[in-house]
Amino acid sequence: MRISIDRMKYNQEGVFVGINNELRLHLAGMGLRAGKKIKMITREPLKGPVVIQVDHASISLGIGIADKLIVEVDE
Amino acid sequence: MHLTPDERWELIEEIARRTLRFGNYKHTLKDAIGDFTVKPATGIPFAIAILFVFWSVFTSFAALMTDGFMIKIFDNHWLPWLQQNFPGGPGNWFYALMVDVGQRQGSAIVASESCFDSFGVLTSGLFLPIGVVLPAIMIFYLMLSLLEDIGYMPRLAVLIDTFLHKIGLHGYAIIPTILSLGCNVPGVEATRILETKKQRFMMMTLLAMFIPCGAQIGIMQKVIPQYIGFIMLYLFVGYFLYGFIMNKILPGKTPEILMDVPAYQKPLVKNISKKMWMRTAGFLREGVPFVMLGVLIINVLYIFGIIEFMATAMAPVFEGWFGVPRETAGPLIAALLRKDLAIAQLGAIEMTKYQMISAVVLVTIYFPCIATFVMMLKESGRAFLGSLLALMIVVFTYGGLLHLIWKLMGVA
Amino acid sequence: MKVLLMGHPNVGKSVIFNRLTGANVVSSNYPGTTVDYTQGYMRVFDRDIEIMDVPGTFSLDAKDKAEEVAVKMLMENPDAKIICVIDTSKLERGLYLALEIIERGFPLVLALNMWDVALDKNIVIDLQKLEVILGIPVVPTVAISGEGISTLVEKLIDVEPVDILHISNTMKLSCLMTSPGCAGCKGC
Ligand SMILES: Nc1nc2c(ncn2[C@@H]2O[C@H](COP(=O)(O)OP(=O)(O)OP(=O)(O)O)[C@@H](O)[C@H]2O)c(=O)[nH]1
Ligand SMILES: [Mg+2]
Repeated sequence: MRISIDRMKYNQEGVFVGINNELRLHLAGMGLRAGKKIKMITREPLKGPVVIQVDHASISLGIGIADKLIVEVDE
Repeated sequence: MHLTPDERWELIEEIARRTLRFGNYKHTLKDAIGDFTVKPATGIPFAIAILFVFWSVFTSFAALMTDGFMIKIFDNHWLPWLQQNFPGGPGNWFYALMVDVGQRQGSAIVASESCFDSFGVLTSGLFLPIGVVLPAIMIFYLMLSLLEDIGYMPRLAVLIDTFLHKIGLHGYAIIPTILSLGCNVPGVEATRILETKKQRFMMMTLLAMFIPCGAQIGIMQKVIPQYIGFIMLYLFVGYFLYGFIMNKILPGKTPEILMDVPAYQKPLVKNISKKMWMRTAGFLREGVPFVMLGVLIINVLYIFGIIEFMATAMAPVFEGWFGVPRETAGPLIAALLRKDLAIAQLGAIEMTKYQMISAVVLVTIYFPCIATFVMMLKESGRAFLGSLLALMIVVFTYGGLLHLIWKLMGVA
Repeated sequence: MKVLLMGHPNVGKSVIFNRLTGANVVSSNYPGTTVDYTQGYMRVFDRDIEIMDVPGTFSLDAKDKAEEVAVKMLMENPDAKIICVIDTSKLERGLYLALEIIERGFPLVLALNMWDVALDKNIVIDLQKLEVILGIPVVPTVAISGEGISTLVEKLIDVEPVDILHISNTMKLSCLMTSPGCAGCKGC
């Protein structure tokens, strides 16, 4: 099933599918590339940012970025 | 030859496959604390506790050092010694400039009893920066460096992003903001971590207006400890209010937070003491001479009646619009050099509690000190004019608003 | 000769810079500590070599003004030699920036910094193989203790640019013959 990162549950894991906008290059530099395993760490209330884990890095993303990042998750 | 991002990643995955092996990784205590302090249910109370501890330690340490130690040295030894031994003595203009302008008592002028009142270059000019501000900023920088090196700042950024995002900034704006609470100059420089011109412009303007520096807070803590809470609150509300307004009317993009959150680290004593010392030394090198120069200039302006003249000329604005005594003219001139000096001067002016709060707010928001001014000019170039315009508008509206509040409360 | 310290934010560039030059640049545990460049000199074999600490950047497509400074420094110094600093436990994404810089023809030494942290995390890296594949010196360092810093400088002196094509071609070889006496076991 494909969902955007902001819809992932705490500690849920997924595989990054991609994003299609001008942030793509920057995200690639931060290690977010298609096929990469991602783990959701936390999401802040009131449309706050999410924090995800990629390899050994934690990255915080504003909700407006997170809702454009698509991941493939189980079930 | 250049690769596309996908080709590059393909190559890297291949390299990693042949050279990199991840062994067993156990979740450590550091990771657990990392999660604890960033998840909202636990992280938000923790952040509030941290800020509270920060503030308590800051105020109690500064008070302890100043009242228990510095005041005694300066008022019981340094001032009397100078009053005894400085050439000229009372009545001499050079003595008045350097040691003691004296206190008016009826028609006589008597010797001052404290380094707050004497207002000489060698008395107040040294006591304010060294006796009051130095302990305050040392403890501030100690705690700031600790938070920086442990790695707490990015987590604070994540927690506060929700609010800052609503005004067109994002969580990472907490870095320039907190640095500004030490000194606005590095704070303004740190606006470079924001993405767009609009965000940097907003941030710089908000910092220059609403964030008092450590030196100023140190003096406020000494002179008006009972009002400091309200004043800080009024300033923070202003920060969000005018941030919100600027975000609505200014053109430009406001990208969201996208930042690494590094793992916590055991702080290195050596690095912390080095940073604390470097920042304190910066204050001693650039702050102290400016305060002394400020005292000198203010004294000269008083002697030539220039401040009196300005106070009279500006009286309708001061008294009518802002609801502060016309004598605020003197501190406002001092504030161009050093805000801490300006607050200390306010402390010596006779006024009501409400006028005092208004006057302190006015001194804070009305114009950046010269060092901040220069850094803003360097960082923003022509946009600086826009910043000045925004500043004028804010001074008159937000300064006037406070007066209005007092009027509605029936206290002004 | 001019040397630039490039790398992601918060990988330890400023600590390395201080070690190399004796300067006192601020270092903190958050990305974006350094927002402007600082120039310094280090002494190598009786020569003063100019070296710059620059802000961290995730890629050569700058996102904010601090990153712009970093990219601008690189573009304005086409003759510079680069020390690319990487957080070892995030090797892969660190290589991304390193490759970008290599592609632009800069001679580059790779500093695998925070080697201590990677050890704690049980991360194992075959340094020799990595050097053969990339064709550049790879030096593990621990900036806060000074480990590996002098090796870094030694290797820097005669580093040459490599062709990215060479790297991808090496990758196609099934055997890299990294150990002496190896005659193509196809096992690597
Ligand atoms: N454990 C460990 N920590 C390190 C090492 N090198 C640096 N650090 C720490 O990593 C943090 C970041 O170091 P900096 O030198 O400020 O990083 P930088 O690359 O200059 O970061 P920016 O200026 O933000 O781009 C600091 O807290 C250092 O103490 C290392 O080899 N091992
Ligand atoms: Mg740095």
